[in-house]
Amino acid sequence: MRPAVESNEFRRDLVSVLPKLRRFAMTLTRNAADADDLVQEVCERAITRYHLWNGEGRLESWIYAMTRNLWIDEIRKRRVRTGSGTVDAAEQDELSIEASGEKAVYANQLQKMILSMPEGLASVFLLVNIEGHSYREAADILKIPIGTVMSRISTARLRLASMITETTERRA
Amino acid sequence: MLQSTRGLPLDVRLSAYIDGEVNETERKELEQLIARDDEARRVLETLQAGSSFGNKAFEELLHDPVPLSLVRRIKQGPGVSAKTEHLAISAPRKTKQRLWPRALAASLVLLLVGGSTGFIIGKTSDDETQSVKIAAARTWLDDIADYHRLYARQTAEHLVEVPASAGGKIEGWLASNVGVNFSLPDLSDKGLTFEGARLLVAAGKPVAQLMYKDQDGDVFAICFLKSPPGDTDGKMTESMRDDIAMISWQKNDASYVVVGPSSDANLHQLATAISAAI
Repeated sequence: MRPAVESNEFRRDLVSVLPKLRRFAMTLTRNAADADDLVQEVCERAITRYHLWNGEGRLESWIYAMTRNLWIDEIRKRRVRTGSGTVDAAEQDELSIEASGEKAVYANQLQKMILSMPEGLASVFLLVNIEGHSYREAADILKIPIGTVMSRISTARLRLASMITETTERRA
Repeated sequence: MLQSTRGLPLDVRLSAYIDGEVNETERKELEQLIARDDEARRVLETLQAGSSFGNKAFEELLHDPVPLSLVRRIKQGPGVSAKTEHLAISAPRKTKQRLWPRALAASLVLLLVGGSTGFIIGKTSDDETQSVKIAAARTWLDDIADYHRLYARQTAEHLVEVPASAGGKIEGWLASNVGVNFSLPDLSDKGLTFEGARLLVAAGKPVAQLMYKDQDGDVFAICFLKSPPGDTDGKMTESMRDDIAMISWQKNDASYVVVGPSSDANLHQLATAISAAI
């Protein structure tokens, strides 16, 4: 077991990535309540398993992969409970699910718009365009083929570009 | 090793070009295409516009406050108690799991309030004393939180009473009014720019308020007032008022508090640096 000081350092590092982690969780869950629950669960798990973090690369990548896995588990549980439920786009090459207006409950209009993007697009856009992960890194975190990352980042950009028009028309 | 984009749709290829995910040969090929083909140029511009729009929207998400209770649990706890603090992410059962402890707590509060009220009414006197006691429960930190909520929303013009350009005069002015000698902390290495100062009144005492802004425009304040030395000198206490986080401590003959957005995960380090510098 590592000394306590290392545990404290890990906790500090974990706290420093919390805002980013929460944002990533939002792209998966697309609503704040689920994102907060997911972040809490990820943090609990990360703290109990911090000895598995080798300190190489970006801490975010390790935490994000854990977040994605937990969310997939949660979706599976929900699917079993409901008997049908949603199909997770993170596991699919083809996008099929649109976020409902009710799901994307968020105050800010811009946030509402990005959270209403089809599943899987926002996460890829965040990882690649905002946080500068390579296609390979994003594919590893989301456990999807690199070709899917390529098509999703492009689709996300086109979708976001179309939102500019929607926003302008709404204002007019 | 970069992926080949040949044979993929134009928007996918150009997107990979934007991200630097094409090899040298393909990069040149795509640049030539962009130079001679209007449609390719239009698609590229659309993708770039989408990127810029997305950047702005995602930046907003980053500024949502992270629940301070979570921050505190991670920073301070020897381990997260799954039994007491675990929140399952299961939606259908979530309401029950979240509501029953609150309902129980609310019932207990109501019971206590009811009991206390009955006791107070039964006493038939001392009503005034009770009111005073309730009022006294409000601390100077509550006043500071209210001030911060008000002033942090002001435009640059109204953010401070005396601007940073007044320089050394600020220290003299505040020290003489508050009765606490201090040095103006330079927090530029923490990404904070000093904007100026205000003189406030909290819990009936004059309070100095130093205002800083970070690159995102978030406002941070250092407030202090004269107070007798206590047993908890130097010990930092963290608290939260909605979206505002506060870290307070006592040092020598003054009480200090650093106020900032609850989403800021480095507030504790900031408070430690300020305590050493002020």
